[in-house]
Amino acid sequence: MRVVLIGFGNLGRGLSRVLIQKASFLRKNHGLIPRVVAAVDEFGAAIDEKGLNLTRLLKVSEKTGTVAAYKGGKRGKLANRVIEEVEAEVVYELTPTNIKTGEPGLTHIKRAMQAGKHVIISNKGPLVVAFRELDSLARRCGVEFRYSASVGGAVPVVGLAKKLLAGNEIREIRGVLNGTTNYILTRMSREGDPFEVVLREAQELGVAEKDPTLDIKGIDTACKITILANSLLGMNARLKDVKIEGITRVRPEAIRLAREAGQTIKLIGVAKHGSLEVGPKLVPLGHPLAVGGTLNAVTFELDLAREISITGFGAGPKETSSSLLGDLIDIHRTLGG
Amino acid sequence: MLVRIVMELEDVPGQLLKALEPISHLGGNIQSIMHQRERKTPLGRVPVMLVFEVSERARLNRILAALRARGVRVTQLGEREGAVRATALLVGHIIHTDIRDTIDRLNALKGVRVFDLSLAMGEPGQESAARMTITADDERRVNLALSNLQRIADRKKLLMITSLEAR
Repeated sequence: MRVVLIGFGNLGRGLSRVLIQKASFLRKNHGLIPRVVAAVDEFGAAIDEKGLNLTRLLKVSEKTGTVAAYKGGKRGKLANRVIEEVEAEVVYELTPTNIKTGEPGLTHIKRAMQAGKHVIISNKGPLVVAFRELDSLARRCGVEFRYSASVGGAVPVVGLAKKLLAGNEIREIRGVLNGTTNYILTRMSREGDPFEVVLREAQELGVAEKDPTLDIKGIDTACKITILANSLLGMNARLKDVKIEGITRVRPEAIRLAREAGQTIKLIGVAKHGSLEVGPKLVPLGHPLAVGGTLNAVTFELDLAREISITGFGAGPKETSSSLLGDLIDIHRTLGG
Repeated sequence: MLVRIVMELEDVPGQLLKALEPISHLGGNIQSIMHQRERKTPLGRVPVMLVFEVSERARLNRILAALRARGVRVTQLGEREGAVRATALLVGHIIHTDIRDTIDRLNALKGVRVFDLSLAMGEPGQESAARMTITADDERRVNLALSNLQRIADRKKLLMITSLEAR
């Protein structure tokens, strides 16, 4: 199966490492031989129809900062041209998220679908801005569209609901969907330190970004809630439909009062028909959503199974590769591989 | 006091009698029994709602223990008065925005009472936090109290954190 990687940052590199590491596993267990025929970053592209040497590609990109330095590589903004011109079955769209415009991912995805290529993405932006449009475009173009890595990182939130729980009506989805804020709340709870101190510590550890606004204001969680509402509840929701409260006002004293009553405070996203909401909530200690550290957790409320909860790592290149690779295998199977 | 419980019984003869015996035996005065066949659980059990009167809490506790001992699953328990409670946290300038006024407004609602209040002061000039427990006679009233509290919190620029289970 020929694969194009658009975006060669943490996720693109993480996925490449996993493809090297799992080559014989994929062949033996799934009869799948992924061949990366092109990799594109913001400075250029590396292309080889016979398949790039991923070890060399990683080395070159780490040393020079771009895949364009690969033998025969080209410089320039080449993503759209590569998507349209390089022959491949699957395009991975792994560029950074822009929640306002969805670009450049949105254009990449549309071009790929129109070129008859299956698309796998990790990028929330396009899904928040244009979920319905992309969903129907994929159908019109007769291509597969997968986005497991966009919500929950390694936690198979979308796949679990769409496949294994397919016989259920989903009444409500609730989740801890942002590892950064969960880390901050967990540390505040354990150490009793104020928000600002813990945030700085999280930034030093690389758990929080330099500009943590999207995380701590609850916007990242709201994006994921929007995606889940659209993909699993069949809604046509936009980010502006989500009522959002972040964690910046949560104080360690409040968490202490919660603990005294057998509860803790978590940033919870809730999606159900008629109400999309993100905000700090009281969660009983020992509840499936009372997870610590950078963990994510999701609870589905269902008509048959009643309640199903899953927990796992919501970020990290290796962990997210689990979802990205799962999507590739899933497409391979869907196509009868 | 008047007590309302919901218990789940197996759908076979004799189960209801098994559950009623300890109640009357231990001094409960049964007032109504309602089968909720339409709400059968996935395991095929039938919820039965029961309202009875007992003189004191200790008696109620003995009844509940007896039911447990007979393997009867009680899924809901409520005293008719102040039967439902909810906890909420408030963060902000709680004292300066007149906590007494906040409490008075809630207590003014029929069948609603601010049952407990714990306060944690922040550093001077910083915001404080409070944990408030509200009791109400039923679910509808407790929800009304919570939405009133939310309106008060919005007006006083307080962050209100409710329970995950609150609807």
